[in-house]
Amino acid sequence: MKSPGLLLALPTALIVLLLGFVPLIVILVWSFWTWDPATYWIRPEFSLAGYEAILEAGRWSVIVGSLGKAFLTAAICVVIGYPAAMAVHFLASRRTALLLMALFTIPFFTSYMIRAFSWRLVLGRNGLINGWLMDLGIVDQPLDWLLFSNFAVNVGLVASYLPFVIFPLILSMQRVEPSLLAASQDLGAGFWRTFRSVLLPLTQAGIFAGFLFVFVMAAGSATEVQMLGGAAASMISVMINDVMRVVNFPLAFAISTLVLIILFGLIFIGNRLFKLTSLFEGFTW
Amino acid sequence: MVAGFESRPLKAAIWLMTAIGLAIIYLPPLYLVAVSFNPALQPALPPLSDISLTWYFALAKERTLISALQESLLVATITALVATGLALLSALAYMDLGKWRSRWFMFVLLPMFVPGIIQGLSLSVIFGRIGLKPFWGTVAASHLLWALPFAFTVILTSMAAVRRSYLLAASDLGASWWRQLVDVTLPLIKPGLVAAFIFSFLLSLNEFGRAFYLVGRQNTLPLAMFGKMNSGASPTIYALSGSIFLASILAVSFVLLAAQAKDRKLHR
Repeated sequence: MKSPGLLLALPTALIVLLLGFVPLIVILVWSFWTWDPATYWIRPEFSLAGYEAILEAGRWSVIVGSLGKAFLTAAICVVIGYPAAMAVHFLASRRTALLLMALFTIPFFTSYMIRAFSWRLVLGRNGLINGWLMDLGIVDQPLDWLLFSNFAVNVGLVASYLPFVIFPLILSMQRVEPSLLAASQDLGAGFWRTFRSVLLPLTQAGIFAGFLFVFVMAAGSATEVQMLGGAAASMISVMINDVMRVVNFPLAFAISTLVLIILFGLIFIGNRLFKLTSLFEGFTW
Repeated sequence: MVAGFESRPLKAAIWLMTAIGLAIIYLPPLYLVAVSFNPALQPALPPLSDISLTWYFALAKERTLISALQESLLVATITALVATGLALLSALAYMDLGKWRSRWFMFVLLPMFVPGIIQGLSLSVIFGRIGLKPFWGTVAASHLLWALPFAFTVILTSMAAVRRSYLLAASDLGASWWRQLVDVTLPLIKPGLVAAFIFSFLLSLNEFGRAFYLVGRQNTLPLAMFGKMNSGASPTIYALSGSIFLASILAVSFVLLAAQAKDRKLHR
């Protein structure tokens, strides 16, 4: 079969390289340049000032805090998402499974900002939850810590990125040979034993991929903190905005570089260890 | 039913977690939609007798939001057209790439994982250096990187409908590569192309972080809405958020229902 082969890949390769990767590499290089107050820009002299500034003014703790929030979000998403994926793959009828998959697909294409914003109506002082708690007489005063708090940010992050964990998990469960589960049961293993010794190990690529997707999306998120976080709450992306407000280019570039190295490092290591791309190879021919 | 799932409490627990997952995704925005029909200023569920479209009518007077909506529709249309075209080419390339497939897949997918703010900032400094003033095109450039991975995945999935034997048969009958594409592949993956277009459109319409550094004088809708949400939210913002959320749900549901209808026809 004659085909234009590689030529087909060329336009996308160029666009992704030129718009996606080249600007990031340029930023990496520029993060080592020197700030020039005269031109409000940088000049090509090697400097580590940007990276030194990361260690100042609590910026380091924002980065660590963001990664911590992302880790917690990803862990919660796996805990909720694993049973949900089991429901889709093992329990649901074909119809219900399709419906559930549709319900988990829709949120990808809705606005993260609107969804985060809507939590204000639920968690606020006059919100839905405080209303219920007061009606039931559980509290006399509305709870203040529900909104504009780390709690609210974590809830918002889980709600935003939960769908990212579901599909890798379903894909990994589809690759588990049902007879293995049946064999385990025939040999006398109960559900938990089968779960621990057969299902969990066989779906670890899905667990890791799902965890990683959520972690990376949450670590780079901004909306949830901006909508739901307290006055001093920050996140890597929000901090970059703050730094750019005082046009500190080298610092903004240094933070971006560091974060990209961490995130891409995790993706590449994950791909090596768990062959993440193989999860998606069931697609075609 | 697979062995090991007979226990009732266990099944109940699994369904409960699924319900919790769906509830945290859907309850808050649906509550917001309900609140948007309440004519009172204080956000709360409207009593059934009071349901009103007051805030939806008030939207018509929000000039800034309307011009932002127009800008977003323009950006979304351009993004969706380009993303669908590129995704089609990328998916066709994937078929030809043999052992390079998974690398190509990763390559097209990777921009999705770049935090939006960082991608937007990097593009804006580059555009600034080469003297390109921010306008709808610069925003669309960043949205393209966000939409392409999704469009690519969707079209790649729809390629499953194209059996290799169909193409071999066409080839045996003397069809050129181009004829095979136009007469065999494209008709079979048409639903995938439509889905990729609609999904890319929605991803662009709802995108916020990437546009931040790249908009020109005219804000995109999410940026304009962000301002309104944080300046003592007037209930009109509930109406707008609610309509955008519902419109997105309807568009995705349309795509998914069409895909299922097609699936059923194939399996009959």
